[in-house]
Amino acid sequence: MTFARFAQRIDGLNYLAEQMELSGSRVRRYLMQIPFCDKAEVLEKHFDILQKAYEIHSLPENEPALMQLRHLFTTVHDIKGTLEALKQKQVLDEIELFELKYFASLCRDFRLLCKRIDFMSQAPMCLQHVFDWLDPDKTGTSGFYMYDSYSPSLAQARKAVLATDPEKEPESWNRATDLVQQEEWSVRKTLSEELSKRYEVLQNNFDQLARLEIWLAKAALAVKYGMVRPQVAPVLSIEGMVNPMIADILVKSKGTFQPVSVTLHQGPCLLTGANMSGKTVVLKTLALIQALTQFSFFVPARTAQIPLVKDVFLVVGDKQDYYKGLSSFAAEMLALDRIMDKIKKGNRFFVLVDEPARTTNPYEGTAILCALLAFMEQYRVMSLISTHYGELNTAVRKLRVVGFEGEKAVGRIDPTSINQYMNYSLVEDKRTSVPKEALQIARLLGVDDSFIKRAQEFLKKNNHE
Amino acid sequence: MAITSVGIDGEAIDRVTATSKPEVLIEKGMYFTTVGSFYLQKRFTAEICHVEKSQTVLGKMITARALERGTLVLAGPSDTLSLQRWIHNTSAKYPVDICLVDGAVSRLSPASPAVTESMVLTTGAAFSANIKTLVAGTRFVYDTIQLPAVPEEIRKPLENITKGIRTITEDGQIEDPGIDSALTPDQIRQVLDTCGNRIYIPGVLSNGLLKALTERKEAGKICLYVRDFSRIFAEPATFYAFLRKGGRMAQLLRPNLLAVCVNPVSPEGYCLRSEELVSHMQDALNISVYDIKNIKT
Repeated sequence: MTFARFAQRIDGLNYLAEQMELSGSRVRRYLMQIPFCDKAEVLEKHFDILQKAYEIHSLPENEPALMQLRHLFTTVHDIKGTLEALKQKQVLDEIELFELKYFASLCRDFRLLCKRIDFMSQAPMCLQHVFDWLDPDKTGTSGFYMYDSYSPSLAQARKAVLATDPEKEPESWNRATDLVQQEEWSVRKTLSEELSKRYEVLQNNFDQLARLEIWLAKAALAVKYGMVRPQVAPVLSIEGMVNPMIADILVKSKGTFQPVSVTLHQGPCLLTGANMSGKTVVLKTLALIQALTQFSFFVPARTAQIPLVKDVFLVVGDKQDYYKGLSSFAAEMLALDRIMDKIKKGNRFFVLVDEPARTTNPYEGTAILCALLAFMEQYRVMSLISTHYGELNTAVRKLRVVGFEGEKAVGRIDPTSINQYMNYSLVEDKRTSVPKEALQIARLLGVDDSFIKRAQEFLKKNNHE
Repeated sequence: MAITSVGIDGEAIDRVTATSKPEVLIEKGMYFTTVGSFYLQKRFTAEICHVEKSQTVLGKMITARALERGTLVLAGPSDTLSLQRWIHNTSAKYPVDICLVDGAVSRLSPASPAVTESMVLTTGAAFSANIKTLVAGTRFVYDTIQLPAVPEEIRKPLENITKGIRTITEDGQIEDPGIDSALTPDQIRQVLDTCGNRIYIPGVLSNGLLKALTERKEAGKICLYVRDFSRIFAEPATFYAFLRKGGRMAQLLRPNLLAVCVNPVSPEGYCLRSEELVSHMQDALNISVYDIKNIKT
């Protein structure tokens, strides 16, 4: 499972990838191919590297070298084709040989800069021997041609060409240049054979440059969003988590994102809260943080303890289902069915579901929800399930968004500024009922008074019955 | 010296006219830029100095220094922006005093002063086998090149405006009527309605607009500013009618035209009389005219 696949499913992952300063599509493709990792020892090693990169970024004296590095990354050519030719033991042409010499000299520059920022552990290997082969005259520059010093017979053949006038003796000039081409070919053949022995170190360096760039970009991202290193732990416990994408949107409208803390144990947990209280954001941010951890990123929170899982499932009825021609209910049921099928096969998963069965009648909807909770309980799946359904006959743990602090609000408020009156904190909730603030919020949004009154009358009538 | 071409030059057979073409001869020590596939076909020694990161349709651009004299096919950066970059990078990176750009048929934009410092206008029997037509056609391009420069005091503020249309008021104020360009009949009508007599067109000056302005009663009062001659996409008849009615035109960037060269031989092999052609051309143009087949150095 790659980053690219996750980015399609989990909101905000792509957004963060876009915020990363990468030199081009080659490195971006590399990022997209990063695998989802559930091995603690591998992740810890990665976090050590990232920690180091983060410290490098935090030191102001490193800024000039980092800027030079960022520029140097843009000068890396995509030599995939040349490397493939080396692997296949083909004879390289002059341009490909130049590319390798240029690449070897770039690696030298990268090593110098890595040394300056004390990041040699991630520097490419030294390719001096490759450079030397391609620089027999010891010019030290990255320019390249089929040097005379490669072969006496090449030098001789070239002399013969120079001694011939192409206009007066075209025939012999053609023969002489043919000979030069032949000699050049044998030099290229020898060089290519030597270089192909170095294929693996060249390929590894080429990959390492992309890895180095991604580590530095991840560190820069962590500095930008104040991210922290997650601790791999048996129980999920996050303090002060933030959703970077939503936080950025809020900053544009002069708002701020209220950090949220949450602890989740094995088994299901219900999430309740009024409308607009940010339940979906909690689910999406949790999925994002879990994914970021397992793709070796730091996470947007004050502290984060994250248990490793095989996969993260986030079910929020999104518009894609309509494109497939499914009703929202059908899409949701099929998605849950697929997930439960995987769980039965016995792997650790993290499941986040936004208001399951909300698009059907509350009578059956409640039953579906209870069955889902029972399933998650049976298989001890770490899961958070949001709902508006109350009076559930279940002992499942419940978290509630504190919600609307209406006393601060007067009159009608702008829907986009409702977050000023919301307390997004999560609290343990022992009650069986759910918050009933829908009508109050509708009123504050400026929905017609007579309509709300009518709704309230219906409420009273139902309660009497 | 560094050399490149915005088209394809030096191939044995012209791809457009399917007629034979002269070779491009590179002297020892010259820098040149061409695409990889043509680079590998050459038969002389050169040192590769730089390979462009990005691919073009014909492959990667190679910049090299000739270690011997030889011929090759030249096909360098073809769009104006990469050509600008080529000139900048080549003269910054290598010991190069002059960058030469071989143009392509009917393409004037590389000759814009925004790209190249000076230009040589070349024409010949390939354009027309009739001397009169050839001279008239050349005269038109020459006249656009030689349009006067925009007055200094108004040039500076206009320089950074590269989009839309601007009106210059009586007292020299620059106003933006909010029109994107003057290409469609609607836009032209808008320009006629809202713009005054002094108009700056940073983009394309279309034939339609120039015609509409010429048909105006007070055409004689109109003063048009264009970015440079290569943005004028008007027919000669319209261009001259505008000037005849007293309209004035000036350019922000005035090119430095060094000479006009003529080739009396057409690709089909038809040959004009060199002396007659040069003398007619010389009479029509106030600049040195050379027959490239017969240059005395």
